[in-house]
Amino acid sequence: MKEKLKYRIGIAALAITLFTGSAINCLKPQAEFSDSERRQLKKHPEWSFGSFLDNTYGDKFEDAAMDQFPFRDEFRRIKSYTLYDLFWEKDNNGIYIEDGYAAKLDYPLKEESVQNALTSFRYIYDTYLLGGSSKIYTCIVPDKGYYLAKQNGYPAMDYEKLYSKMKDGMDYSGFIDIRNMLSIKDYYKTDTHWRQEDLGQTAKKIGEKMGIGDSLSGNYTVNTSKLPFYGVYYGQSALPLKSETIKYLTNDIIDSCKVYNYETGKTTGVYELNKLSGKDPYEMFLSGAAPLLTIENPKAIENKELIVFRDSFGSSLIPLLIEGYSKITVVDIRYVKSSILKDYIDFDNRDVLFLYSTLLLNDSYSLK
Amino acid sequence: MLFSSITFLYYFLPVVLLLYFLMPFRYKNMVLLIASLIFYAWGEPVYCILMLLSILQGYFIGLRIEGTADSRKAKVLMASSIVISLSILGFFKYFDFFIANVNKVTHLSLPFLRIALPMGISFYTFHIMSYTIDVYRGKVKAEKDILAFMTYAMLFPQLVAGPIVRYADIAKQLHEREHSLSQCYLGSRRFVAGLAKKVLLANSFGVLCTKFQDSSDKSVLFYWIYAIAYTLQIYYDFSGYSDMAIGLGKIFGFQFIENFNYPYISKSITEFWRRWHISLSSWFRDYVYIPLGGNRVSKFKHIRNILIVWMLTGFWHGAAWNFILWGLYFAILLILEKYCFPKWTEKGNAVLSHIYVMVLVIISFVLFNADSLSQAGSDIGSMFGLSDIPFVSTQALYYLSSYGVLLLVGITGSTPLFKVLYEKFAEKGKGAFLFVILEPVVLCSLLLVITGYLVDGSFNPFLYFRF
Repeated sequence: MKEKLKYRIGIAALAITLFTGSAINCLKPQAEFSDSERRQLKKHPEWSFGSFLDNTYGDKFEDAAMDQFPFRDEFRRIKSYTLYDLFWEKDNNGIYIEDGYAAKLDYPLKEESVQNALTSFRYIYDTYLLGGSSKIYTCIVPDKGYYLAKQNGYPAMDYEKLYSKMKDGMDYSGFIDIRNMLSIKDYYKTDTHWRQEDLGQTAKKIGEKMGIGDSLSGNYTVNTSKLPFYGVYYGQSALPLKSETIKYLTNDIIDSCKVYNYETGKTTGVYELNKLSGKDPYEMFLSGAAPLLTIENPKAIENKELIVFRDSFGSSLIPLLIEGYSKITVVDIRYVKSSILKDYIDFDNRDVLFLYSTLLLNDSYSLK
Repeated sequence: MLFSSITFLYYFLPVVLLLYFLMPFRYKNMVLLIASLIFYAWGEPVYCILMLLSILQGYFIGLRIEGTADSRKAKVLMASSIVISLSILGFFKYFDFFIANVNKVTHLSLPFLRIALPMGISFYTFHIMSYTIDVYRGKVKAEKDILAFMTYAMLFPQLVAGPIVRYADIAKQLHEREHSLSQCYLGSRRFVAGLAKKVLLANSFGVLCTKFQDSSDKSVLFYWIYAIAYTLQIYYDFSGYSDMAIGLGKIFGFQFIENFNYPYISKSITEFWRRWHISLSSWFRDYVYIPLGGNRVSKFKHIRNILIVWMLTGFWHGAAWNFILWGLYFAILLILEKYCFPKWTEKGNAVLSHIYVMVLVIISFVLFNADSLSQAGSDIGSMFGLSDIPFVSTQALYYLSSYGVLLLVGITGSTPLFKVLYEKFAEKGKGAFLFVILEPVVLCSLLLVITGYLVDGSFNPFLYFRF
């Protein structure tokens, strides 16, 4: 009797789970974008005899079925909880949480990737800077793993080796080491990036090394966005991490600067506040990913220019250097080929800063 | 199509179940046949034709064998069916291996075929061969209903990764089978349990193995973690698949042969092979070992028979020397157990016997998973500190701590402990009434957790699909 009841309840429960999931799957409109994962979702492929025969239809259908599954984020969260809380695994999809900070396991040091970055930078030096009068500097931004991984028993890349390789490989530039200026608290808990409001002293140190230290006032107003900020690791970890707030620094000079984006042809301010409500609020700093920008400082006392080769970490730091220059040209060679830069930039007698994170150097194949 | 995919679970299976249970009995085989064709074609549309050809030759030759009174002609017919089956298998699975070895020996550069291995070819070939042999031996009547025969040979639950179900075992069920509430529930429970073994355990161990293979921070400890993880992965992967197949079969009214019986609790290699991939070892026993004379021959011939059977067993798993060596490795161990220390394996210390079996089995799976013999040698050597690596590395410690609980769950789950506890509390104990609710809740929760794992698109290959 009890067994029969169990069978009935069991079959009913499993059938409801399976058939409800199936029905919602079929009826639910297809989503375009996952906010939490910050990526386009795959959509069900169009059927064709050719794609069926060459076996691509089935694979694409499964990819779409996973992406379009109803309550996808909630199901991913169930997996994360199972992994972290039931099996006590330390990372999910390579993301680990320590002291409330989400970080990515980034190891081992990929020496070929570092060499690839050095080759890209050497090309820029040989093509545009060799024999010129530019002062060249390099600053490597440590990622969160530098402060979090090894100390807490997570595998970490050999940071000392990376810094040493970069320093030796870029012997044509002055090396600025900022590792001692930072701590894990200077980074967002849910994102890869550092917090601009904590970078005043770091910017000052960089400025001093570049000979503009006296020009940097260090006086900023801290502005706080009212919108919640969920960083990139929030989606990847699929855990309900607490939201954060983005703070940004302003003063008269930063407020007066104009940023020209060569890709869009638009002129904006240093901060695009409307992006705070976008898919990646960190893009409010210097418009986010952009191949080529110029920041003009109308209040500059002397005509002094800087060219910065950078990744996304530069977006929040570069505005803090503008007081020392009349113009900063910001180049991201992930989005523009190094070989065509001469068409847009005059390199003569400019300061040049290579500002890259360890994350990018350890995965540098997007550099062009 | 994989059982452990969203496509199977939330698109294919609900439709098939609905159609199957709505149709009157006379159409049920038709539903299963069409479903099986779609299931196979979803992953291997072109090779559907090959599979159909293979099945049809088995069907027609089976009829001819039964229809002839001439025993010599029947033998020729049976042999021709086996030759056709083995030729197809040999061509698609072993041709490039053969060419590679010819090239190596003769220094020629004969071109490779480089064609993908048709999914499940080793399994359906063995289904059909066992059928024609059994018809020839008069063990079963030839199946006259082509629909029923095709349903047997293509039945999607066991089509691509077994168990190797013999026609004799389900011949009656193809024409009359019972569908009951208990069968349906027990089948569903078995299916979900198999799915959990595959998705939650095997895939996670697979991720750990991949981390090891990608690592540049290897150590002796890391090699052992990898070896144990792979041993668990292959068990949960394959036994999970078998559970799913058996469970689905039960839902559709079929009783498939059990394929695993807690092999990792064995106290001898002989016992291990009575518990591991039972349908394959019994197939080789009945169709190769016994026809060769089995153990009722001289000592020399018996050893020869063991070597032949286990070399074929290894070769069945893959067209590479490490698989052949893997089979011969077990042959030698079985011969040693039989002739050198039979008493020790029967009456020896249980703990020591168990350690002996597990160490040898773990080493065997390192050999099994190697890309080449040299890699196998290097991996096994590294496990015993015979290479220039440290004993411990940061990554080894990290993964040991990160996967420690999972490894413990995996090791415990490979013993009958959970089954014993379940029987004590759910079936005989006072908690039986609690389990009326608890068990369905656990099953549904498992299904949701599995869905979470699948939706997150993690690592998900079936190891036995390549065999």
